[in-house]
Amino acid sequence: MVPLITRALCLLGAGALLGLAVNGVRSDGVRFARFAPPSVCTMTPARGEAPDPAPVEALAPPDAAALCGDPSTLIADVRPAADFAQGHVTGAIHLPCTATGEAASAAVDLVAGRQTLIVYGDGTDDAQRVADELRQRMRRRDLRIAVVSGGFGAWSQAGLACSSGPCLHCAVPPAVSASVTPGPAGTP
Amino acid sequence: MIPARPIVFLLRLALGALLIVAGLLKLRDPTAFATEIANYQLLPGGGAVLAAILPAIEVVVGTSLLVLPGAWRRAAAGAALALFVMFTAAVASAYFRRINIDCGCFGTGGGPIGALTLLRNLALIAMAVVVLRFDRASGANAAPRPATPAVSG
Repeated sequence: MVPLITRALCLLGAGALLGLAVNGVRSDGVRFARFAPPSVCTMTPARGEAPDPAPVEALAPPDAAALCGDPSTLIADVRPAADFAQGHVTGAIHLPCTATGEAASAAVDLVAGRQTLIVYGDGTDDAQRVADELRQRMRRRDLRIAVVSGGFGAWSQAGLACSSGPCLHCAVPPAVSASVTPGPAGTP
Repeated sequence: MIPARPIVFLLRLALGALLIVAGLLKLRDPTAFATEIANYQLLPGGGAVLAAILPAIEVVVGTSLLVLPGAWRRAAAGAALALFVMFTAAVASAYFRRINIDCGCFGTGGGPIGALTLLRNLALIAMAVVVLRFDRASGANAAPRPATPAVSG
C-alpha cells in the first residue's frame, strides 16, 4: 500500500513540476502574480448559442435617472454590501456577484419582465465587467443593458435620488450575496 | 465478481485517453482554465497555480495509465482515482451550492454543471476503482499463480 501511494505521489509531483515548467516557458501561461479572479462568476456560452444580441451601453447619470420610474427598468448595484447599505440608487437590487444559483435565479426572475437593466458600481469599469457578464447570461434580444458612467459617485454628485440601509424585503435570503430592494423608484 | 481482463484493459485505456484529452484541452488556454477554477469559489487565491499544474498532471497520469508497467500503472490508477475524487468534490460543491458555472472539465465551454456532470464523475471514480482493484493481475504485485497440475492421459 505504501509503495503504491509513494508511486502515485511521485506521478502527481512529476506532473506538477512538468506543469510549472511548461507554464513558465509559455508566453500565454498563467501569471500567478497578475492573475485576478473574476469579479463575477463567468459562464461560457454554450456551443451554437447566439452571439450577444447588443453591446452594453453607457448612460450618463441623468439619463439613467430618467428611467428610474419606468416599471420595465431594473437597476443593479454591484458594489460591496457595506457600500450598498450606506447608500444606493433607490429601487436598486444588490448584485455584487451572482454567488449562488438562488441569487442568480432571483436576479434573472426580476429581469424577466423588464426591458432595461441598468448596472452601476463605484465607477464605470466595475459595473462594465458585471454588465458584460450579465449580458452573457441574459441573452434576450429585447433586453437593453447599460452602465451608469462614473458610477455611484457621479450619481450622487448629480444630486439624483438615493436611499440607504440594507434591504428590508429581500427576495433572496440574507445568507446569499444578492439582496433585493423592491421599493418604488424615485422615492428618497 | 471479478471483471474480465479485457474489460479492465478497456477501462484503463478509456481512463488514460480521457485524462490525456482533458489535460491537453485545458492546456490550450491556461488563463481561461484558471478563471474556471476561480468560479468554483473554493480557493481564495483563485487557483492560478492549480490551473498551471493540473493539465500536466492529467497528461502524466493518463500517459502512465497507458504505457507504464505493473506497479507504476496501478499507482497511476490510484492517482487518477485521487484526481476524480477531487474533481467530483468540487463539482458536487458547486452543484449543491447551486452555483451556475461551467464545469471546466475539458477546458472552457464544457457546459454548465448539472446532475449529469456529477453522475459522469461518479462513473469515472467507479472506473478508476475497478482498474486500481483488478488491474494488478498483470502488475509487479501480482500474486503468484498456483502451479497447474499437469494433466496427462
